[in-house]
Amino acid sequence: MKLKIDGKETEVKPGTSILGAAQAMGVLIPRYCYHPSLSVSGNCRMCLVEIEGAPKLVTACSTPCAEGMSVLTASEKARAARRDVLEFLLINHPLDCPICDQAGECGLQDYYMEHGLHKSRFPQTDKVRRHKRRDIGKHLVLDNERCILCTRCVRFCEEITKTDELCVRERGDHSYIDLKPGARLDNDYSLNIADLCPVGAFTSADFRFRQRVWFLQRTPSVCAGCATGCPLEVHHKDNVVYRLMPRPVEGFPPWLCDEGRMTYKSLRAPGRPAAAFCEEGNLKPAAGLRFAASRLGKLKPEQVAIFGSPFMSLEDNLALAELAAALGTKNFCLHFNTEPGIKDGILMNTDHSPNSRGLALIHAVYGGYTREQFSERLASGEVKFILGRNEEVKAALNAARTDIPSSVFSFSDEPAPGRACVLPAAGHFESDCLFINYAGRLRRARAAVKAPEGVLPVWQAADRIASMLGAPIRLETRAAVLERIKAKIPELADAPLADDTAEFYLK
Amino acid sequence: MKKFKFSEEFNRKVAPTVARYPRAEAALIPLMQEVQRELGHFPDEAAQALAGLLGVSYARVKGVLTFYTMFRREPGGKYLLQVCRNLSCHLAGSVKLLEYLKGRLGIEEGGTTHDGVFTLITAECLGACGTAPVMMVNDDYHESLTVEKLDKLISDLRAAAKAHK
Amino acid sequence: MGEQILLKHKVVSLDGYKASGGWTALEKATRMEPAAIIDEVKKSGLRGRGGAGFPAGLKWSFIPKDSPKERYVVCNADEGEPGTFKDRELIRMNPYLLIEGMAIAGRAIGARTGYIYIRGEFAREAALLEKCIGEAKVSGFLGDKLFGSAFGFDLHVHKGAGAYICGEETALLESIEGRRGQPRLKPPYPAVEGLFACPTVINNVETLAAVPAIIERGGAWYAGIGAGKSTGTKLFSISGPVKKPGVYEADLGIPFKTFLEDYAGGMADGKKLKAVIPGGSSTPVLTAEEALNAKLDYESLAAAGSMLGSGGIIVIAEGTCMVDALLVLAKFYHHESCGQCTPCREGAGWTETVLRRFEEGGAKPGDADLLLSIANNMMGRTICPLADALAMPVISFIAKFRDEFDAHAAGNTCRMGASR
Repeated sequence: MKLKIDGKETEVKPGTSILGAAQAMGVLIPRYCYHPSLSVSGNCRMCLVEIEGAPKLVTACSTPCAEGMSVLTASEKARAARRDVLEFLLINHPLDCPICDQAGECGLQDYYMEHGLHKSRFPQTDKVRRHKRRDIGKHLVLDNERCILCTRCVRFCEEITKTDELCVRERGDHSYIDLKPGARLDNDYSLNIADLCPVGAFTSADFRFRQRVWFLQRTPSVCAGCATGCPLEVHHKDNVVYRLMPRPVEGFPPWLCDEGRMTYKSLRAPGRPAAAFCEEGNLKPAAGLRFAASRLGKLKPEQVAIFGSPFMSLEDNLALAELAAALGTKNFCLHFNTEPGIKDGILMNTDHSPNSRGLALIHAVYGGYTREQFSERLASGEVKFILGRNEEVKAALNAARTDIPSSVFSFSDEPAPGRACVLPAAGHFESDCLFINYAGRLRRARAAVKAPEGVLPVWQAADRIASMLGAPIRLETRAAVLERIKAKIPELADAPLADDTAEFYLK
Repeated sequence: MKKFKFSEEFNRKVAPTVARYPRAEAALIPLMQEVQRELGHFPDEAAQALAGLLGVSYARVKGVLTFYTMFRREPGGKYLLQVCRNLSCHLAGSVKLLEYLKGRLGIEEGGTTHDGVFTLITAECLGACGTAPVMMVNDDYHESLTVEKLDKLISDLRAAAKAHK
Repeated sequence: MGEQILLKHKVVSLDGYKASGGWTALEKATRMEPAAIIDEVKKSGLRGRGGAGFPAGLKWSFIPKDSPKERYVVCNADEGEPGTFKDRELIRMNPYLLIEGMAIAGRAIGARTGYIYIRGEFAREAALLEKCIGEAKVSGFLGDKLFGSAFGFDLHVHKGAGAYICGEETALLESIEGRRGQPRLKPPYPAVEGLFACPTVINNVETLAAVPAIIERGGAWYAGIGAGKSTGTKLFSISGPVKKPGVYEADLGIPFKTFLEDYAGGMADGKKLKAVIPGGSSTPVLTAEEALNAKLDYESLAAAGSMLGSGGIIVIAEGTCMVDALLVLAKFYHHESCGQCTPCREGAGWTETVLRRFEEGGAKPGDADLLLSIANNMMGRTICPLADALAMPVISFIAKFRDEFDAHAAGNTCRMGASR
């Protein structure tokens, strides 16, 4: 159907709201209670617009477009309504902005600058006082005084997580958001509530008071917390990541699970190694690689085992596969048993590894042992040294009841096996890298921060080790790695690996 | 939270109440009223129990409980006195009646007498403006009130409360 | 006095109702085509008696003919608009009239079930209705196959729990469904998606009680009563300092002056008329002169700058402080705002705060204008009309009695001190 918005013709599908139609044309109508992924409640009244010929303003969020309608989103009447609604919202809002974490991304501040700019007609002493700084869940702090009762949080818990923790209590201007006495708002997605909250009522306990949002740089990336691979944005400053936020992408819900959101913590975990260490003590990362190479160089190829991982990127696994081939060992494993799938109907995957599909592609090309066979190989006594990711090497050694020496790539503060030489490795927020999620969708993670001095991504470390052993694999640059991926893996031959914008699914 | 046990009488009423509606949750308010009728108030433990009974969330019950003014969340006196304070009663002198009651009972609005006989609150329009001023005593309307009538009413109620003891 | 249709008989038993000619309209309706019943109601010109005055027949005709869903008739007996007490009176006078009217409405729209939503404070009236419904079921006036037809109708009483807002029809539906009584966004309208998401007609007690007479005696007969588009009789509640406050049935179009003198007996104790709120507390106040020149019908009162509303007339005598009176109303709307929409939630409290300054001292000279500004900023910007219901008295009180507000602000005193 056709209609006019601010004098411009547009065509929409029947059932489209005025707000939706305007947004498609690039006209952003202010809103607080409306959220595209939640039911429409129409209570904040901020999106009032004028329909030519209609006596009353209507809420753009709840009013469907009609044929021939002429909508004015910025008429004098509509602008006055917005200004007045904003004034009503602010009369009982505390003057907290200097200490409020929402400052800089606050709907009240933003719209005030755009539509308000009035002098307060309400004495500060008359403002309603409410509960502040309530420790309401593992990740959340609630300030009822800042709340504008848009009910996004309530609807999120009812409609998305279906956990129903929250309700509006009392009525009128005594209303406030609350939960059961003694209960906690700690569902698996609770931090989305801090994002949804258009004001500073719900803030993240983790992010509070740590950084002003306007100082943060934003780098689009993906989550490596599980096989779902949600799009996210890394917020960082001065090489420190402060938070992970959902990044809206067609086909993904605009949420992150709390677990995924906390994955950045491993980057700065106090026990995460920034230097290599082995029997000789701490070494610079490059020296660590030389040490590992020297250990490998003393062994016969079949005495060396190389272990790929679904927790590492396509690049890393490809380089390890190439290294195994260059060394000529048959003792390598690029296999992982998994049955991925969304386990809670929202985002969280039964498969905790971000790249099992990617690993399977490499396994299909390079072969190697299955996990079970690999475990048998380790137990056989033939293998004298193993190279791989810390956690999996440790688990494999335990399973095979052996304590052979190893070199392990470490991304976190997880303790290493007893006789390991630990090689610090760049995490996925520290290097550009690729994953394939459970649905076969190519996921591109972007480096947001730099790894500690000298710490390399695994693929680069593997390349260095190969060169040191005189068996170069020629993967000096990431471009070279991507070329190799395309050349070796038929499913990815035409994949737009370097293009951030193009979507790609495995066939 | 203490576990709440519904009375046998309540349990007998559940099915016929639910049967009046195509969805069980519509029986929420009638069943809350039934709990209150039995106990004189609606305790928080009952919110959890009723939520479980009707398959709704505790949050939903709590939201409903705090929205409607007739639900009493705390135990009160044997007689709930509600003095209408809206315009017609106001014009007919309800302020005076309220002041009288506060004085005679020695309590403020919202208070309960020490002997547990009276709780005094004000109410918005009770819908009997033609016989203003009006006061409710539990479910009963007392209309066209004067201080004299009120005085006698309080004495009668007090006597009745004593007789029941 | 005109013909009494609603308050004709005090009926206390089912037999008494039968003897007074009860159930004949329902019997007739079971033999009529539903569309013919709706036509008859349309012809009668009967308009919603709850306050909005929307034509009842038209409302019924909005029920989709082809919907496979269940349909419902809901009676709004959540009488709570200050100054209005006619529905309680009507139920006490003749509960069967409402029951019969609802069954006819059910026949007209194809509903098998009806609910009477009655405010919780009317416990006695709710019990009375339950008793009468029970008897009607036993005697075959409710239930399956009424009067040998295929039509059946069942009726339930649902008590409210203390919320004025549930008189708003969609808040009422939410309340029946076991939720907080917060008005719904429209569209969808209840006729399409109402109770339990099914097509629903919601009418006031008085509207439904007028239906049996219309079916029995014809729409044309009913349309012949009253004035112009305000057809039929209306129950007027009158309170305040008049000799005989109460509920009276009069033809629409009766001059207020006649009504005051002939029905309510004139002003009490020699008091002088100062102002009149003609249709329940949310309707704009009229000065004595405006009221004495007005007729009590939808159009005349609209022309006088107010509304017929629910017909709840509050009479205000000279000596009454209008600032104090408005504060009482502001407290009420503040107390009853559901809190959903920003302008109403915040504006009602703000209005009360400013009005308190007039009464308790501290009002500033510009505060009357501030009140007007708050009221204007609330008007027409919320989901339901509760914000307007406060804004209209504020605007009209200040427009017509500005000098009292200014005197309060100037001297922080009330000239009417004696009235308080």
